[in-house]
Amino acid sequence: MNHCVPDFETDDDYFFSASANSKRHKKSAMGDEDIMELLWQNGQVVVQSQNQRSAGNKKSETMPSTAGREIRSGVIDEETTPSNLFMQEDEMVSWLHYPSDDNSLDLYLHNNDIPYPVLPSSSSAPATTLPSSLPPPPPPLVTVPPTRPPIPPLNRVDEEPSQPKFANFLHFSRSNKRGLAGSGPSSSKQMSQAITQSTVVESNIGCRGSMSSFGGAGTSSAGTGREPETCDVSASSSPGTGGSGASASVEPSSHKPPPATDDRKRKGRDTDDTECYSEDLEFEYHDPKKKSRGSASSTKRSRAAEVHNLSERSDKASMLDEAIEYLKSLQMQVQMMSMGYNMVPMMFPGVQRYMPTMPAMGMGMGMGMGMGMDHIGMNRGMVPYPSVLPGPQMPNSAAAHMGQRFPVPRFQMAQVPIMGPGTGEAANPSDPMMNSFPTQNANQPRVPFLDPYQQCLGLPQTQLAQQQQQQQNQTGMAAVTSKPSSSKDVRYPQRHPTG
Amino acid sequence: MSSRRSRQSSSGGPRITDDQIIQLVSKLQQLLPGTHIQRSNKASASKVLQETCNYVRSLHREVDDLSDRLSQLLSTIDADSPEASIIRSLIM
Repeated sequence: MNHCVPDFETDDDYFFSASANSKRHKKSAMGDEDIMELLWQNGQVVVQSQNQRSAGNKKSETMPSTAGREIRSGVIDEETTPSNLFMQEDEMVSWLHYPSDDNSLDLYLHNNDIPYPVLPSSSSAPATTLPSSLPPPPPPLVTVPPTRPPIPPLNRVDEEPSQPKFANFLHFSRSNKRGLAGSGPSSSKQMSQAITQSTVVESNIGCRGSMSSFGGAGTSSAGTGREPETCDVSASSSPGTGGSGASASVEPSSHKPPPATDDRKRKGRDTDDTECYSEDLEFEYHDPKKKSRGSASSTKRSRAAEVHNLSERSDKASMLDEAIEYLKSLQMQVQMMSMGYNMVPMMFPGVQRYMPTMPAMGMGMGMGMGMGMDHIGMNRGMVPYPSVLPGPQMPNSAAAHMGQRFPVPRFQMAQVPIMGPGTGEAANPSDPMMNSFPTQNANQPRVPFLDPYQQCLGLPQTQLAQQQQQQQNQTGMAAVTSKPSSSKDVRYPQRHPTG
Repeated sequence: MSSRRSRQSSSGGPRITDDQIIQLVSKLQQLLPGTHIQRSNKASASKVLQETCNYVRSLHREVDDLSDRLSQLLSTIDADSPEASIIRSLIM
């Protein structure tokens, strides 16, 4: 339904005001989506509902909407939608040259409620440069994210573009398409940098697991969001498990001068706490930040560097967390595979025997299995694993479960060399094996299973050695399998060794 | 300190402190073979990271080795047996 605008031919101003009023009225009446627009059709401005323009050609879609926005008085803004820019650059260029194009952009964005990614709104400095001319994109883009340490919501009241990257697109269109070709690649790179920076800044707020440097593999997803818990649990478990020496040594080490980087960081922290600026001179770029924090002289530069530093630190922390989780999962995977490799040949004679011995294993292994190997056989019906793998149930208590977990493989690992070197020994009844078992444990320096980390550490080497032995003694294994029950009874301390 | 940093921090509520990073590094070190308990305070963060890289590489090698062995084992046994399914799951 095309409404004829009353008498627009005579007076443009009147037309604009009237049409604006009418548009506003109609807009309010019809809701946000049914926006009346002024279309230049056939030399006449026609008020048309927004829905109708879809009937027209696609190219005119943007122009009418934006043209309609032009009529409204609004804040001049450089905002625009990247989609429009990408798809309809001609139109963008053409209507951008209109004086009130910024209005249209801003209003268009407002009306459509396009959710922009929350980025630190750029400072006024780059904003002022944007409308004036085509400034070099890198400086505003680079400085923009750091100058806004918190992430405030988009400020549409200001003339500020909320996203520097979008503003940069505007530069492209303003600079003409020829200029776009030249400045495109370089500016896009800077924009990507800015986007990366803003993404980095964003990531600091929310999930810290944005870095997938370790290949993800599900561990990152398991690791993200659990960092504080993981730290707490690990910190609490490590003293509890007998690794107190390590943690105890860590705390004093944090207070005495350790190696370079840690020392600097720690001293930088102490600066804030103790107001001692003497150490500030030691650092190259930590200095201004610490001083700024200490003296509250937060200049833009120091604040930017500090934000960068803080974001860097959080990235390091997230990376370290991810590394820890990944390493744990890898170790668990290796352990599982080696255990399976050793136990599968044992499973031939009878399956039911192994059932009761598994619950202890099942308690702790769910974490590792959930992370590394999702379907290790829990639903296969095969004994060693179904109870082992309830799923990624307790990722945070992995450390706590390690203590339960390791006695099992430890014993199993210890059994292999028993069988390996002496097949005659394997043929012995269980009692000698039980008796020899502690000695075997003593013989293996890495076997103490009270310390989960130690076990974890000793596992690879032990496995490698044992696998070699195992392969050499396949025939011995066959002999051993004739007495699986006895060996298994000895193998798992949880079960009463009845022989 | 925290108040000053709060307005400048970009990490929001949970502040990432250097001590946290140090603790993480030490935790990582504990996972590494050969550098646990008494030796954790000896290694710098860079060394810990270097050793972590080496260790991860060795673990990868071991996983590959185990996978090869498991696949060999898989070929020797009946494919329909539950053991075979287990081995397949181990290899992933």
